[in-house]
Amino acid sequence: MYQTIKEMIDQATREKKLLSELVIEQEIKLSGSSRQEIWQKMERNLETMKEAVVKGQKGVKSKTGLTGGDAAKLKEYAQKHEPLSGRTILEAAQNAIATNEVNAAMGIICATPTAGSSGTLPGILFTLEKKLNLNHEQMVRFLFTAGGIGLVIANNACIAGASGGCQAEVGSASAMGAAAAVEAAGGSPEQSGQAAAIAISNLLGLVCDPIAGLVEVPCVNRNALGSSNALLCADLALAGVTSIIPVDEVIMAMDEVGISLPQSLRETGIGGLAGTPTGQNLKMKIFGEDDD
Amino acid sequence: MGIYRSVFDIIGPIMIGPSSSHTAGAVAIGRIARTILPNKPTKVIVHYYESFAKTHQGHGTDYAICAGILGYSTSDERVPESRSYAKKEGIDIRFVEEDGSSPISHPNTAIVDLTDGEHHAQIAACSVGGGVIEVRKITLLGRTITPTGPLPIVILLTKKEADGEQFSNYLESQAPFSKKAKLDADGLFIFEYDIKEYLTEKIRKELAEKFPGILCL
Repeated sequence: MYQTIKEMIDQATREKKLLSELVIEQEIKLSGSSRQEIWQKMERNLETMKEAVVKGQKGVKSKTGLTGGDAAKLKEYAQKHEPLSGRTILEAAQNAIATNEVNAAMGIICATPTAGSSGTLPGILFTLEKKLNLNHEQMVRFLFTAGGIGLVIANNACIAGASGGCQAEVGSASAMGAAAAVEAAGGSPEQSGQAAAIAISNLLGLVCDPIAGLVEVPCVNRNALGSSNALLCADLALAGVTSIIPVDEVIMAMDEVGISLPQSLRETGIGGLAGTPTGQNLKMKIFGEDDD
Repeated sequence: MGIYRSVFDIIGPIMIGPSSSHTAGAVAIGRIARTILPNKPTKVIVHYYESFAKTHQGHGTDYAICAGILGYSTSDERVPESRSYAKKEGIDIRFVEEDGSSPISHPNTAIVDLTDGEHHAQIAACSVGGGVIEVRKITLLGRTITPTGPLPIVILLTKKEADGEQFSNYLESQAPFSKKAKLDADGLFIFEYDIKEYLTEKIRKELAEKFPGILCL
């Protein structure tokens, strides 16, 4: 099993293989399942993601009413206006928000790597599907590459907001997506690694401060950020921009920053936006005065 | 070896929202808790610590653990309504928010105490992110086992110590383990193994057929 991203990149470069191929081969070895079984399992994940995006764009509402309907708003806006951030970014935001709105409404999603960050990868993937005319195989491969990068991050740092803050969730998802976007665009494994390094660096220190402890505010919009950051970092890497700090050291830094974060900013619903007067009032309104 | 050993720990699970650690992971904790008791529990008490104690309501952790105890999967549509299903099945389930630090040193900790009236068991588990969990303490037959944490964990209860040794050899050849523990519970031996890789369905089935009564967590 790959212990570092560098190991993956070196092997892919040496053997002239895609990162996704290495991840598939690793999974066959680890699980004892056939290539076909593994491929089909990933196809089901892709299908679930697609269904969530479609559902979310029609407009769903969470039980608390804190989130929902924004993906539909973005869709309408893009039809009537020229988005300031461009069509690609806006569409990524729309797909990301749609997914997280479905998640907040207790719909079915695929955790990538977590449910709180489940919008980031679909935000990137279904936007690139159109932009790069990705075929089905490339889309499934996108998920294997993303998953392979995520596996190293999860084992060397963390992917839970309670352990490492939002940087561990949306930050990890953004890095996974940036690396996979590079591969989908025909970039090298080395460039995938650079994209992942820059993506995490950009989101380092992002705290997990959900209002009333719900995976709604600010989680939904942060996935729009995760997707757009990934696309930007993929572009930087494809242009030849490199990260001064190697990707595996960036992951170590994320872990260290996560450990240093106070508990109030690690998915406790106490600090940050959750701690604001409005955040506290909303918590009171949703759960009543007795809850502390 | 890391805690995460499959690409599907990262891309997946397919689940009902809203949180992979506080909902999907909680379903997994409930399922494990149910597995260690021979019969359906009648009474369950869940003790929450740290992030679980602070945010279980917002994340649906209560219904998630309950769904796991009923054996539902993370993507089962009944997950959000599991508490009313539990009531119908006669399972009394309660939740306690504990102050202070987790006794197993993780912010997402749940200690599940359960009984079927005759047997009593307890697990101390934590949800480490993305739906993956660890079980760091198991109490069975009044004895406490402390596995390293990551699943799978295999447990054999046997009256004959020699059977345990034979099982150890078989397991080592089929599903190598990194740690083995043996406890004597008044004439009944508890053998516990921390397995290195995830168990395939085939091996799970084989183990269950060859050694009835073993627990594969």
